[in-house]
Amino acid sequence: MNPRAVTASFKQQAIQFMADPQWIIPSIVSPFLFTMVMLYIHQDVTGPVVLQAVLGGGVLGMWANTIFASSFTISYDRMNGTFESMLLSPTKIFDILIGRSIWNAFIGLVNALLVFAIAEMIFRTGVSLANPIGFFFILALTLMSLASFGMLISTAFVFSRMGRFFSSVAEYPIYVISGALVPISALPVGLQHISYLLAPSWGVDAMRYAAFEGYGSMMGTSLLTDIIMMVMLSIAVLIIAYFIMNKAERAILSAGSATRY
Amino acid sequence: MTCPEYAIVAEGLTRTYGPFIPGSAGKVAVDGISFKVRKGEIYGILGPNGAGKTTTIKMLSTMLTPTSGLAEVLGMDVRDGKNIRALRKRINVVSGGERGLYYRLSGRQNLEFFADLYGIPKKDQKALIESLLSLVELIEAADIKVENYSRGMKQRIHIARSLINSPEILFLDEPTIGLDPEISRGIRSLIKKLSDGGTTVILTTHYMFEAEELCDNMVILSRGRIVGKGTVDDIKSSISRVSSLKIITEEDPSDVTASLCRENLDAVTSRLLNERYLTKITLNNADRAFTAIEDLFRPYAISSVGVEEPTLEDAYLTLVNEGL
Repeated sequence: MNPRAVTASFKQQAIQFMADPQWIIPSIVSPFLFTMVMLYIHQDVTGPVVLQAVLGGGVLGMWANTIFASSFTISYDRMNGTFESMLLSPTKIFDILIGRSIWNAFIGLVNALLVFAIAEMIFRTGVSLANPIGFFFILALTLMSLASFGMLISTAFVFSRMGRFFSSVAEYPIYVISGALVPISALPVGLQHISYLLAPSWGVDAMRYAAFEGYGSMMGTSLLTDIIMMVMLSIAVLIIAYFIMNKAERAILSAGSATRY
Repeated sequence: MTCPEYAIVAEGLTRTYGPFIPGSAGKVAVDGISFKVRKGEIYGILGPNGAGKTTTIKMLSTMLTPTSGLAEVLGMDVRDGKNIRALRKRINVVSGGERGLYYRLSGRQNLEFFADLYGIPKKDQKALIESLLSLVELIEAADIKVENYSRGMKQRIHIARSLINSPEILFLDEPTIGLDPEISRGIRSLIKKLSDGGTTVILTTHYMFEAEELCDNMVILSRGRIVGKGTVDDIKSSISRVSSLKIITEEDPSDVTASLCRENLDAVTSRLLNERYLTKITLNNADRAFTAIEDLFRPYAISSVGVEEPTLEDAYLTLVNEGL
């Protein structure tokens, strides 16, 4: 990995991102509305339900941001002709996208906290976390797991300009399957198997451990197992993304499709 | 095969698009072209739209894998994946038009980003970027977002970006397209300066005067094949059989002009402001036909006769049309 390129793309992504006010919609408005809907469905605005809803909204915010940013940046590069300039440089596309994904994860954390703060401000339920430090540590790890997923999704956009369809299809299923919306145990058995393969599922479970006093794992695992599984699966996804990205680079040089948008 | 004298050696270079490329399925974009570019020269690739100029540049700059043939750039085979990143450090590309920059970043931020992608040490970046901004005369606009730049400014920041790695070979794909004459002249002057400094420049352009002014050597492509190659003079002389004969007469020679047209000669008469008549005749063999034609016009009181040699544009059009 090229640290210089990672830092440069992080900075470039930050400037680009902040200059485009569209990010507010998927990152804050959408998860916030979702949180409100969850609360009104439950007709209960007491501690645990608010926390469950806010947690779901926060994860949706992080995921929506990851998928929006992962798809938008490469689409923008293709549309704007900068993808060719990037590709022409000696830096691997993977390194550039790592920097961008780290920014996306960072802004996702900010979004999650904003959702939490706004919900708390409106409902004033005095939500408390069982283990605040552990919660934010796990939240950061979960964000990294989402960022690694974002890397995998980005490969679709390197391969083809039509990647946006893939990202649209992936957004809500991942959210449901990871257990952020409903407990994994409530999903059909077939989907539960897929849940265990997703790093964010373990992250969501671990976050609940840290948030709720006396939480009984929906996956039947300990907090440590959740964290280990999340980290290992994230690394595995990153490795897969790395190989797919290299293959994608070769494929677009062969097909001559780098300039299509 | 490594030729230190040459920056680029292309032999039988071919590119065919695959069956799933919309609008180009199975199309042979470049068909077995061969040429050599000496280090430090400005080499033109001319041809009409769709002739294969951009495809050739893409193959030579590692952006497109050739289907077959050899392409050696700075002694490295562009088909070998192991060479690609090493080669990219030593070359760069400027495409005409407004795409290829981050519009929400300033000119300076764009250069800083690409300097990092090219691994330029941080300690050298500031001075390098300042010198490039100065070279393209954008010091004062350096901190303005690119989205607020004029087309000419965007093209100049493109050129600055392409020089960030001090490339040994610079590929310029229609660098003055759509620019006003003053900015175009500035860019041509910059290209000469780069060449004088030892940079090999590969230039595609539709402007013949630009090619004539800048290029040491060139190829003319038509439908993916080379139809002309050499210096400007070589290209012109390759069609020297085609000349224009200009005859000015005191009286209207339209009758003769019409009879020449009937003999399939391209002849046109027009009336001049000073009550005289100018007839232009395109000849395939000037030496043989000259005297005979002059005799035909003598009864109309010839005041002057001249032979106009072909321009690069004449040669280009002839070669391209022959290649169709």
